[in-house]
Amino acid sequence: MSSEMSIPSSLALQQVLRKSFQHLETNQKTWHSVLAECIPLVGSVGNLAQQLRALSNVNIPNTPLQAFPDLQQRLHFKLVLALDIVLEKLNEKLVLLQSVRDSHSNQLMAAFQLYERDADTLDLYTCTQRSPVAPSIADMLEWLQNAELYYKQQFLKRKTLLHSLMPDDLSLLESTPERWDSLETSSDTLFRVSFFVESNKGE
Amino acid sequence: CSAVTGSGRKLKDNAADWHNLILRWEKLNNEGSGVAEKIVDQRLKRSPGEAAAPPPGSAPPNPGRPLEQACSELVGVVSKMASIVAKMERLASSERGVLELETFQRGAAGRGGPLFHSWPTQLFVEQSAGLLQCYQKELALKQRVLQELAHTGPQDLCMVYLSCWLHQPYIPADSRLALEALLLETGHRAL
Repeated sequence: MSSEMSIPSSLALQQVLRKSFQHLETNQKTWHSVLAECIPLVGSVGNLAQQLRALSNVNIPNTPLQAFPDLQQRLHFKLVLALDIVLEKLNEKLVLLQSVRDSHSNQLMAAFQLYERDADTLDLYTCTQRSPVAPSIADMLEWLQNAELYYKQQFLKRKTLLHSLMPDDLSLLESTPERWDSLETSSDTLFRVSFFVESNKGE
Repeated sequence: CSAVTGSGRKLKDNAADWHNLILRWEKLNNEGSGVAEKIVDQRLKRSPGEAAAPPPGSAPPNPGRPLEQACSELVGVVSKMASIVAKMERLASSERGVLELETFQRGAAGRGGPLFHSWPTQLFVEQSAGLLQCYQKELALKQRVLQELAHTGPQDLCMVYLSCWLHQPYIPADSRLALEALLLETGHRAL
């Protein structure tokens, strides 16, 4: 047999899957960093909503500010403008989250395409074989799918929350920081992937 | 275009002065926002839900050092803002002077061509007058907020005072554009 034997397809697939995990690690860092950038913005939404609420509760002509007859509408305009600016910035963050989601989906699709191409040579035993230092091919594919599901769900929930915000629905705006925080969930899969990548660094 | 002498020089220097004054105002506004918040916090700590006034005829309460200090800081900020507006008034006045001189020398038809790229001298006067009016009104609001913040007010009203300070309702969102247009016209910014 020639020494340049082709790498068995299971090894090739395992290499691709490990690379996918490394991409996933990078994607996770980007994901968390973008979410961290959202925190002060979401806080501002709540803060501006409180200011709008306070303004709507005050009758300016009955206050020491009565010398400024057009103040109510001018201040309202400025507050809504500030809110628009913050929501626009949050939309930009959503776009970044979307690109993380899509990047991972592309990785997963490439991995599945390779698996399907070599499916004839990959029997059930090969795919489910684990070792003390490596998960099975089936495990790795499942983890990548779970990660995709996590990104898709998280993105959809966050997008739905932001797109439901209206400048005249003050209660919804005021509760935004709390509702945004409540969307945070951890993922066992992502933890496992992270652990596996860490323990295999330097290979 | 070259504007190295006389009216052109004056208007160009004024544009730079407008820019510097507005930047200083913004810095003072940010500083003042922080101080105003401190004042409201101190008031609310003393009586949660309402920053209450002492009953009439009673001895004025000792506000405590932090509140006193914050009030005096804010007085300082407003006073600096008043100086800025006074300087803006002088700039606007000097631009009116440039236009009056032009009219005197060349009649109602004026210069015939722009001093810089495209603006007639009249437009400089109008832009300055517009900016000045905004800052004068905003100053009046800040002076009133300063008077009231240190006294009474339900929580909502305190928050409105803070919003007024921070969001500057009398300075339109496009005033920054007006300033940039002035800087572009006079060559301080590259076209």
